[in-house]
Amino acid sequence: MKKRISGLVLFGVVLIGLLIIAGCGQSNTSTGGDSKTSEAKPIVIGVATALGSIEGADSLRAVELAVEEVNAGGGITVKGEKRPLKIVSIDTREHEPGLPVHDALAALEKLITQEKPDAMLVGSFRSEVMLSAMDLIAKYKVPNIVSIAMTPEFEKKLQTNYENYKYNFRMGLTSANLVQYLSKTMDFIGKEHGFKKAYIVNQEVLWAEGTAKGVKKYLEANGWQVIGKDTYATGASDFSASLTKAKNGGAEVIIPIFDMPQSGVLLKQARSMKVPALMAGFISPAAPDSAWKTFDGEVDGLVNFVFEIGPLPVKAVNKSMTFNDNFGKKFGVDQQAKMGGHGPGPAYDSVFVLTDAIKRADSLEANAVVDALKKTDMEGVIGKIKFNENHQVIYDIDPKTSAIGSAFQWVDGKRIPVFPEAAAEAKIKLPEFMNK
Amino acid sequence: MEASVLIFGLVNSATLMLVALGFSLIFGLSGVANLAHGGIYLFSGYVTWMLMNYLGVPFLLAVPLTIIIAGVLGALIYWVALKRVRGLHLSEVIATFAVGVAILELFRWMGFVTYEFTLPVFIKGSVDIAGVSIDYQRLLIIGIGLLLAFALWVFSRYTKMGLALRGMAQDEYTALSIGIDSDWAAALSMALGSAIAAIAAISILPLGIISINMGYEVLIMALAVSVVGGLESITGLVVASIILGFAKTITGTYFDPKWMEVIYLFALVLVLAIKPSGLFGKFKELEERV
Repeated sequence: MKKRISGLVLFGVVLIGLLIIAGCGQSNTSTGGDSKTSEAKPIVIGVATALGSIEGADSLRAVELAVEEVNAGGGITVKGEKRPLKIVSIDTREHEPGLPVHDALAALEKLITQEKPDAMLVGSFRSEVMLSAMDLIAKYKVPNIVSIAMTPEFEKKLQTNYENYKYNFRMGLTSANLVQYLSKTMDFIGKEHGFKKAYIVNQEVLWAEGTAKGVKKYLEANGWQVIGKDTYATGASDFSASLTKAKNGGAEVIIPIFDMPQSGVLLKQARSMKVPALMAGFISPAAPDSAWKTFDGEVDGLVNFVFEIGPLPVKAVNKSMTFNDNFGKKFGVDQQAKMGGHGPGPAYDSVFVLTDAIKRADSLEANAVVDALKKTDMEGVIGKIKFNENHQVIYDIDPKTSAIGSAFQWVDGKRIPVFPEAAAEAKIKLPEFMNK
Repeated sequence: MEASVLIFGLVNSATLMLVALGFSLIFGLSGVANLAHGGIYLFSGYVTWMLMNYLGVPFLLAVPLTIIIAGVLGALIYWVALKRVRGLHLSEVIATFAVGVAILELFRWMGFVTYEFTLPVFIKGSVDIAGVSIDYQRLLIIGIGLLLAFALWVFSRYTKMGLALRGMAQDEYTALSIGIDSDWAAALSMALGSAIAAIAAISILPLGIISINMGYEVLIMALAVSVVGGLESITGLVVASIILGFAKTITGTYFDPKWMEVIYLFALVLVLAIKPSGLFGKFKELEERV
């Protein structure tokens, strides 16, 4: 009897395990709400990304919101027929440590071959997956607008064989753009407050290391003294060494560049060690609106980045305000407050960029849609959307002429945009502990 | 700079000691290498958070509740996953590793991947010691680490229960012959070790925010400290924690912080190559000499 019960328990555990495994890589379908044109054949949008990641999950939500809005307006007219949009999604799990690139690609290929999407949005989470996925996209010839992976290699690869890779477009910020933004923000801080001594701490991952090196090079060439630059392995949880060196070296600005959860320790540790420097850079856990509560107000004074506006409402871009309101209405205020600073803005806009291209092409044929996408010129939640010759959305500092990312400062529980100046709503304030 | 190295070296040592105590205790008292340790550590952090945020339980009540729940989980892991493979060391390792991964990935699957999971510190604020500002929470970690190590040393040497458990670890058949129940002893040691993992989690996690991958990192830390010190030796555990804690701080301060997390793996490989029983371990020492 005992053996039988144990056997049953074992069987149950195995069954649950199998169910969990089966759940991974399972594709899901959604129309993002009620459709008024449900009788017409839907236009299928594929989303293959790391749905367990903050960026992936929020981007899918943003796509769902946009699809709901498009369907509420009757869908898209193609060759005289109104057709609704339908989302099919699959979790590539590529944010999980150690997941091989080919597993993520297998999920993507499964979605393309089984669901036969008319276009793909959001796309790969990891840059190496995105670069490999470009070959799959070329094989199946599906318009693909990505918005998370950031490597500049995307543009280089596209140019190596344009005819082959022309189906790929990118709406999200690149790491080269991030270097420009951080550098310009430091210039701005230097001019406003006369600071010239910086200390850089970054995570040991490709994008962060590349960004940190780029910022260091720029600062040194522009009259700054970079007291030190330290790299921390992903998972590091003690930053006392760098903070002590920054404090003793008289650093006026500490530039953190991290997307790991443990970077929250850096923020708290700098406070507890009373390091009298402005922290200005990118700490992913401190980007969402909910970070004030999470860190119990210890983010006060931090200058942080959202890679693309959208998740950060900016008064200069009206659509970013509406996007936040509607996101909160559809998914709840709590979910809106947790929205990450990279992905949702361009993911939302990519639905409208795609539908605009389909309307202009009056066709779902991939080459026609690609030709129309290249001529995109529209206002979005991320600013003005135009692609360059490498199919990358142009990011700069004026939302009237380009898409923008934004630096914001935590002040009294609110995220106030402070850079670029065209989107700024206040000047950077030095935190109280720096004035003491 | 030297004062900073001394103070944060101590903090890092105490953190490692706290993280490894539960793992080392279970091995020392029952001979089970509990690779679910990281899972239990993270489970404790999330349970405390859920008690506070979903059920509105005050922090001071959530702490003992979590410790009890973690203890029960440890005993359950023994009864459900380990009892059938008791004594088969490889199977024990595979079973506990599978349980640990299942716990961690279950939280990932449930969506615990956002940045809002954080625990409050016991006492807010910081104090200046020799010109170095340090928060009370880190000082508490030093205190809790030392206190727990001492308490466990006393428990395993001077209490009947501790002696019975150690006896079981040393020779199960002899212990059985004098009336010590093997299953009871192993389940109890799993419960105790898991409760200690919960204490470690509740003390350390308030320094930052809780994330799934910490479970895997904690397991590596615990393994490194326990292997370097000697798997069943509390003295070894303390010494290894101090060595690795200071090595980590010195590496970060005088060399490059990116090597700080490699120290554990380097020490692990070095000790396994030179003295597999660890600095103070008796396990397999005789075979090594032969």
